[in-house]
Amino acid sequence: MDAIEISGVTKTFGELAAVDDLSLTVSEGSVYGFIGPNGSGKTTTMRMIVNIFYPDRGSIRVFGQDLRAGRSPHVGYLPEERGLYRRMEVRALLEFHGELRGGRNVTAEVNQWLARLDLAHSAKQRVDTLSKGMSQKVQFIAAVVPEPKLLILDEPFTGLDPLSVDTIRAAILELRRRGATVILSTHDMSVAESMCDSILMIYRGRKVLDGTLEAIQGQYGNDTIRVSAAGGVDGLPGVEKVRDLGQVQELRMARGCDPQEVLRALVARTRVSGFSIAKPSLHDIFVRIAGQEAAEEREARHE
Amino acid sequence: MNRTLLVAKRDYLAAVRSKPFLFGLILAPILGCSGFLVIGLMKVKPDLQPRRIAIVDRTGVSFSAIAEAAKEKNAKEMFDKKSGTQLTPRYDFETVAPDDADPNAQRLQLSDRVRRHEIFAFLDIGRDALRPPKSKDDGEEKVPESSRVDYFSNAGAIDQTRAWISGPVSDGLRRVRLAQLGVDPSRFADALAPATVQNMSLIRRDEATGRIEKAHKSSETETFMVPFALVMLLMMIVLASAGPMLGGVAEDKMQRVYEMLLASATPFELIMGKVAAAVALSLTSSVLYLAGGLVVLSAMAQMGLAPLTLLPWFVIYLVADVMVLCGLGAALGAACASPNDAQHLAMLLFMPVLLPAFLLMVVMQQPNGALALATSFFPPFTPMLMLARQALPGGVPAWQPWVGLIGVLLWTFATTWAAARIFRVGILMQGKTASYSDLFRWAIRG
Repeated sequence: MDAIEISGVTKTFGELAAVDDLSLTVSEGSVYGFIGPNGSGKTTTMRMIVNIFYPDRGSIRVFGQDLRAGRSPHVGYLPEERGLYRRMEVRALLEFHGELRGGRNVTAEVNQWLARLDLAHSAKQRVDTLSKGMSQKVQFIAAVVPEPKLLILDEPFTGLDPLSVDTIRAAILELRRRGATVILSTHDMSVAESMCDSILMIYRGRKVLDGTLEAIQGQYGNDTIRVSAAGGVDGLPGVEKVRDLGQVQELRMARGCDPQEVLRALVARTRVSGFSIAKPSLHDIFVRIAGQEAAEEREARHE
Repeated sequence: MNRTLLVAKRDYLAAVRSKPFLFGLILAPILGCSGFLVIGLMKVKPDLQPRRIAIVDRTGVSFSAIAEAAKEKNAKEMFDKKSGTQLTPRYDFETVAPDDADPNAQRLQLSDRVRRHEIFAFLDIGRDALRPPKSKDDGEEKVPESSRVDYFSNAGAIDQTRAWISGPVSDGLRRVRLAQLGVDPSRFADALAPATVQNMSLIRRDEATGRIEKAHKSSETETFMVPFALVMLLMMIVLASAGPMLGGVAEDKMQRVYEMLLASATPFELIMGKVAAAVALSLTSSVLYLAGGLVVLSAMAQMGLAPLTLLPWFVIYLVADVMVLCGLGAALGAACASPNDAQHLAMLLFMPVLLPAFLLMVVMQQPNGALALATSFFPPFTPMLMLARQALPGGVPAWQPWVGLIGVLLWTFATTWAAARIFRVGILMQGKTASYSDLFRWAIRG
């Protein structure tokens, strides 16, 4: 069964189509990543799934049900814009959020999560006395208590230190193991690559990529060479674009280009310590779709 | 627990545990009664400095009569007859010969004496003051300067001395007129004796015994203070309960609190929870204030003044008013993009309470006049103005509060519905202040 079925959904604000004819399905028990530039429609889509916004056209079904009439106790949501009642104590706040969504007492679960995220000692503290990282952990707990069947996380790792990132990442994956479906949006492509079973890229309100990482990369073929070389790599024959990552340079080959020719030209020019042919990274795919080069191409096509 | 009740419980507990609520509970009645306290204080500690008043008598014959009348009033009112305590200042008079060649220069000279505190004020009695002009048929009456008595002081519009001196001036001039008509001076007191008009309550038949009850003197407390206090209490509790809503919602919006809540509860559930909390808060305050008032009246053996039959109406009007103002407060708070917006919109929010407060005195003076009738049926004003009319002696016809209540309920429903729609659209909008046309559009289209 699909956890979410979105069919032909459009949402406009004035003249702007924030989401334009979007369709997608999210399999139950999977981790589904939303990527896309700022303002592309990720948050609007998430808000429509949790019923904060209503679509102008199309339908959204969560576990087979149209939620337009109300809210589901099985859907947890962590918004991108964090905010909590600042004058409440942590435990009281989490119990309020949990009871509001689940309609039942959640004290035991709150205590469990506080201990798990190393916040038990802060349970009686007021929210406005917490550090930013602690507040984000508290808000994460508010999204996962009571345990949801569908968890929607908008930029869950933003502003967290590496230790907290690992803690939250582990918690998300454990929830998935216990059967939860997770949708998360991120600007960190490595997070999407490492955590998500499927990835959706939205650009200017429209879906431009949807599938597993392998399938998405497969659309582009092995057109990338990763090189570690002592000298410069600019101006090599058959190379369309060079991305300098510091210790490694990523070369994108033109269609029909022979990597052996590139290697020969490179060896003739400088000392090469590493050379591998690879599929493009998600980051590279993102840039190809949403970057300056793509915008220029689109403009040229329009002209 | 129902989501609306859960939100209401959180907001209610957060409010009653806050210091502003506790301070407000104590300070609001003190501030509300501060005007009366000042008046009371002035009665306890009046200004008893002697006041010297110069009189320019252009009639040439009135000064001694006025001074005599003032002397009699001094003797009559200056001291409490039982305790001998001085109650009013002593008024002394001096006569100034009129300068008919340049009266303005003389007035300037006397004004300078007032400024130097040599005299408290001066009177300029016109040449023809003993012959008041006849009223014209067209009703327009402008008393010429020569027939007027002008009072000059720098004590402001509400001047106790001017009020005090009006009696002796009128009496003095009447005495001169009577003397000119040939009346024996020993009869002046009888001729000028004022009639006492006593305010009495209406007579009722005792339903139990069938006897006609005796009329009793109706006091200012009964005819003014009780209705006024009841309406002021209503206004005070409504403002205290609904006032923080706008700022509170705006602050929470700016702290980005609502998006997560909106994933768990609908906007209507949220706003109704907030309104329910404010209603509960207002009822808490009401119970405390009304119980306190009843205890005080009981201690003063004045339980007869307690408007017990009006208490159900008081509660109904209170709940309706709080619902309307809180709904609007939440909607306007959701439309704010900054704390400044909240301050600007606060005045708009309080209009349904402040405007009837401005009309209150007019309505209480003529409770069955056209203005009082029309405004008390205007739903935003009904809670305060209908309550005031009901609380006045004589009350209102039985059907009027019920018809007013229908309007209030419809108004409450309509505003809460519109407020919920505005709240839903505005609450997630950041960085843009909504215009009045935006608010109207959101209310209509959602």
